[in-house]
Amino acid sequence: MSSSFDQIIVSEEWESSELSLLETLDHVLNRGLVIAGEITISVADIDLIFIGLNVLVSSVETAHEVLRKR
Amino acid sequence: MKLYAHCLIEDLDAFDTSTRGISGAAVRLLQIDELAVLVTDFNADTVAVTRENALDHASVVRSVLDRTTPLPFRFGTLVTEQQLRSYISARKPALQTRFAHVRGCVEMSVKIIREVSEDKAEARDEITSGTSFLEEKRRELLGSEQKTIEASEIRTWLHDHVDGLIRDEQVTTRPSEKLVLAAAHLVERAKIPQYKERMAAARKNRPELHFLFSGPWPPYSFANIELEFKTQFGVS
Amino acid sequence: MEFSPENPLTAEPEIETAHAEEFVEQLRCVTDTLPSRINIDAKSVEEGLAKLVLTLIEFIRRLLEKQAVRRMEGGDLSPEQIEELGLALMKLEGKLQELKTQFGLSDEDLNLDLGPIGRLI
Repeated sequence: MSSSFDQIIVSEEWESSELSLLETLDHVLNRGLVIAGEITISVADIDLIFIGLNVLVSSVETAHEVLRKR
Repeated sequence: MKLYAHCLIEDLDAFDTSTRGISGAAVRLLQIDELAVLVTDFNADTVAVTRENALDHASVVRSVLDRTTPLPFRFGTLVTEQQLRSYISARKPALQTRFAHVRGCVEMSVKIIREVSEDKAEARDEITSGTSFLEEKRRELLGSEQKTIEASEIRTWLHDHVDGLIRDEQVTTRPSEKLVLAAAHLVERAKIPQYKERMAAARKNRPELHFLFSGPWPPYSFANIELEFKTQFGVS
Repeated sequence: MEFSPENPLTAEPEIETAHAEEFVEQLRCVTDTLPSRINIDAKSVEEGLAKLVLTLIEFIRRLLEKQAVRRMEGGDLSPEQIEELGLALMKLEGKLQELKTQFGLSDEDLNLDLGPIGRLI
């Protein structure tokens, strides 16, 4: 699976700033108030929360629209 | 027209009009009853997970932290004004409770790495019988049970170190991985120096573990009201 | 204003570690589970479903293995039963492996992150 972060330059000297980016991402992604709660899929007591699904919430909606039209 | 929502605040004076948000757009305050949302206009349908967008999101939420404790929205919250208004009026009591819970605090993070011994794969090609298959599984399981015990011990140890100093914690353990524990601590601002001392001491106490400390952050891990909602009503 | 000037916050969150490389390596794994875009052609949607289904089956398969080991340790199974059970589970593992190959999925692909609960497998 390829990395999603095509815009991130990875090299030795950027390591500390990559670390701060990764720490920042770990905080802003998958945490915080969620408005689009319906994206959560549950099986028994286990919530299958796809990382990034809320991030891409609009593109999921777009995907549904496209699939409906087909 | 969609809005990108960064965070919710209760102190409207905390907002600085010069703040820039995602894609350099100007951040403005959208007042909803006595609360307000920091928003930018957003033209596309998707929010790409890029370095710029993540850092922009983080810096907007961070910008109010000196004056008030915000409730951050999850990265990528693209909504209409109407959706925001409905969401906030429908959940007002839960949001007020959340604000009360995080008021005056910040989030501090701890991540711990410990070395894991690799499970030695016994010569797989020798497993032809059902019995030896199960015996091999048993060996693997014993290994992972041990790791789970270790992870719990680290979790308890850390908790004991911060007990009394934190208002709340969110801890994840991953027993089979090197990054065995990730904790978010909700700490009153005045207690930060003490917290840092306590963490420095803790680290010396466990030389076999590798630590990463970060903070202060806005309370990302303590903002979500859905968790509360679920525990109370068992809704999934 | 809520806060006293004796405790000003730093401009950016500080990160403090003696092991930056190691943490970068570990944290990258977390972010690597993000899809870079959602592909909406039929094949990609199909692969997404395959992944979900196979992950759940894999999860259940591992539970079954654990249960089988416990029964074996519990001593209430005859040697023949243990052998039968083991063979059946071995076949199941093999079948899953075939399916993974068919869909071009690796072991890492089948590892959903459950947020607060941690990874599925």
